[in-house]
Amino acid sequence: MVALSLVVSREASASKSARPQIAFSNVALNLGGKAIVEDLSLTVRPGEFLCIIGASGCGKTTALRLAAGLYQPTSGSVEFDGQPMRTPRRDIAIVFQDYGKALLPWRTAAGNVSLALEANNVPVSERAPRIDALLKKVGLPNHAGKYPAEMSGGMQQRLQIARCLAQDPKALLMDEPFGALDAMTRQGLQDEVLSLVAAANMTVIFVTHDLEEAIYLGDRVIGLLPNPGRIGIELTIDLPRPRDQLTTRENPEFLRLRRELFDFIKASEA
Amino acid sequence: MIPDRFKGLVFPAAALAALEIWARSVDLHSDSLAPPSAIAAAFGLAISDGAFLSATRDTLASAFAGLIIGGAIGLAFGIALGVFQVFDRLMEVTVEAVRPIPSIALLPIALIALGFGYRMEIAIIAFACVWPILILSRAAVQEVEPRLMEVARALRLSPADRVRKIIIPAALPRIFVAFRLAAGIALIVAVTVEIAINPIGLGAAIMAAQQGLQPDLMLAYLVWIGVIGYGLNAGLNLAQRHLFGRAALVGDPA
Amino acid sequence: MTSRGAIYWRIASFAVAAGFVGLWQLIADLRLVSPVFLPGPDRAWASLVRGFTSGDLGSKLLGTLEHMAYGWFLASIAGIALGALIGSSRSMRSYIAPSLEFLRPLPVSAIIPVAIALFGLTQGMALFVIAFGAIWPMLLATIHGFAAVEPRLYEVARSLHMSRLAVIFKIALPSAAPDILAGMRLSLTVALILSVVCEILAGLDGLGHSVLLSARAFRSADLFAGVILLGMIGYLTSLMMSFAEARILRYRRRS
Repeated sequence: MVALSLVVSREASASKSARPQIAFSNVALNLGGKAIVEDLSLTVRPGEFLCIIGASGCGKTTALRLAAGLYQPTSGSVEFDGQPMRTPRRDIAIVFQDYGKALLPWRTAAGNVSLALEANNVPVSERAPRIDALLKKVGLPNHAGKYPAEMSGGMQQRLQIARCLAQDPKALLMDEPFGALDAMTRQGLQDEVLSLVAAANMTVIFVTHDLEEAIYLGDRVIGLLPNPGRIGIELTIDLPRPRDQLTTRENPEFLRLRRELFDFIKASEA
Repeated sequence: MIPDRFKGLVFPAAALAALEIWARSVDLHSDSLAPPSAIAAAFGLAISDGAFLSATRDTLASAFAGLIIGGAIGLAFGIALGVFQVFDRLMEVTVEAVRPIPSIALLPIALIALGFGYRMEIAIIAFACVWPILILSRAAVQEVEPRLMEVARALRLSPADRVRKIIIPAALPRIFVAFRLAAGIALIVAVTVEIAINPIGLGAAIMAAQQGLQPDLMLAYLVWIGVIGYGLNAGLNLAQRHLFGRAALVGDPA
Repeated sequence: MTSRGAIYWRIASFAVAAGFVGLWQLIADLRLVSPVFLPGPDRAWASLVRGFTSGDLGSKLLGTLEHMAYGWFLASIAGIALGALIGSSRSMRSYIAPSLEFLRPLPVSAIIPVAIALFGLTQGMALFVIAFGAIWPMLLATIHGFAAVEPRLYEVARSLHMSRLAVIFKIALPSAAPDILAGMRLSLTVALILSVVCEILAGLDGLGHSVLLSARAFRSADLFAGVILLGMIGYLTSLMMSFAEARILRYRRRS
């Protein structure tokens, strides 16, 4: 299987580089006088899939926005490839939860993907074939001419992912990307994201409130405690890859991890 | 830093000061412009000698008379078209054909039929006010919560009671919005008719000031007309918020 | 099924309108209103045809359209540019918007005497007045449209490192397009009304002046022909805007 061989190469490349792709050191952020996150330190290896979970209001989205450069820390530092983050970078792509707001409603699917290519100054002649390839990659090959309003929620989120891939990102930051989708669509997209990420060898930070989703996708899961947000638990997920919706979710290790995270969330809410 | 609520005053204050300084530095004696200080003096004089008052009375009387007549016609047709879908569909082409006639184009017709004076001005204002009220009250009636109409049917209300007890109260906030917009239109049309041809009211007064080569008085009238427009708009907004609460402002087309 | 029903209703609706024209003819024929004031539709139509074939109605029509179009285009360009400038900056908005709110309810025709004092009874005066009147709906709509751009889209633009110019042309302007188009439609009506008023006041070549002369000479058929023509300008320009809106905003068809 293609995915399997890619996983091998991905782990090889991950061990090759010792420098973290993303590094938070003692990050704190206050918004409007309120501490949102505090003393947050974490590193993400190149090619790693890190999931962040936590009760609502624990600052997991804030952590993601700090990694994206959309927020600047009040103290501490966020680094990407060893350079401090001051503004968003083109090689970091963000998949927003509210895909309906993050797509340009007046552009077709192809036009929305094109936006990222235009921003990267890709020559006009190269755009069409790349758009076709990207739409095919996310499973929308026959929808290039459709407007977002004509697409289902799952299709719109695929489209947003295609636009992010068009940035040729080193890192993909995903903010509860499947939270608004139904269960079947969500599982399909989980597997597609895993294979897309493996194929492109991207680093991923994936924020979710779905514990099973975090375990299923991640190499590592971090749980945040609320008020202010800080790290409460960190679990390494050693489940075999490629993952499978049936066997992975029935694996005793999966169930053990789920139990552990569930207890953590319950304790953090108490 | 300047507090937010004073920021809006910076621009007009700077513009007035610049105009005043410029007018004094070139020792302005013009037939078309006057320094703000002279405008303020003319403004004060026109208020104290009653010139503003009588002209304003003429204009507002015409505007309100036109609004009432046009509003009543527009409201009656709007409700009828909203309640009876058959009527609405049959009248569609007629409404579409007459509505786009610019009200001011009727000025010559009104002039030969009614002569100079209030009647001609009121007729034109009424024509202009019919349409926004007709269109908006029709929409308001058509979009009354269907559940309320089912209640009316379950209670076996007569058609007259249905209009009086359910439809009008339910559509009232949006009908008020229609009247508020139409009041603005009425004032605009009144001033326009007076400027174009009718020798009464604020429009005629500002034209007279221009022709009398009194730029200070002309600009004082301009400011006064602005104050009237702003006051009317603000007063109606306030009344709307008072009568229907903030919910009524949602879906305001203005 | 429904579309066929809609066609029948449309035909019936045209029949009703034709009925009104017939009623008008009847009133005129029976001389219920003096023909000095009310010509029948037959006489108005004959005057319209005569005006175009042997008279100067065509050139009057062009005159009005020209006044309207120049003023409207000028207002569109200035209104959208200024609106974009003010609307895309929060601090510009807090300094300028209150002044605009104060000026918005001003009956724009009140500027006519000032324009006459400055420019005299000239084409330039008409252009100034029409552009000044027509700019408001577009200016305010553009400011509102730019201020109401979905913040998420600005974040997308930031993460793509789009230039300020690209953000304006690719994000803000298309996002504000529905508001801007609504403003342009309103401005078109304002431009037509002010064209007529300026023609009346300054005696400029156009339908406004021509209907006034017809009224003064009690040529009621010519007068009605002119008014019908003005109504048609209003109808057709509004139709034109509807087509433009349907074309430009076609992405909203399913939302």
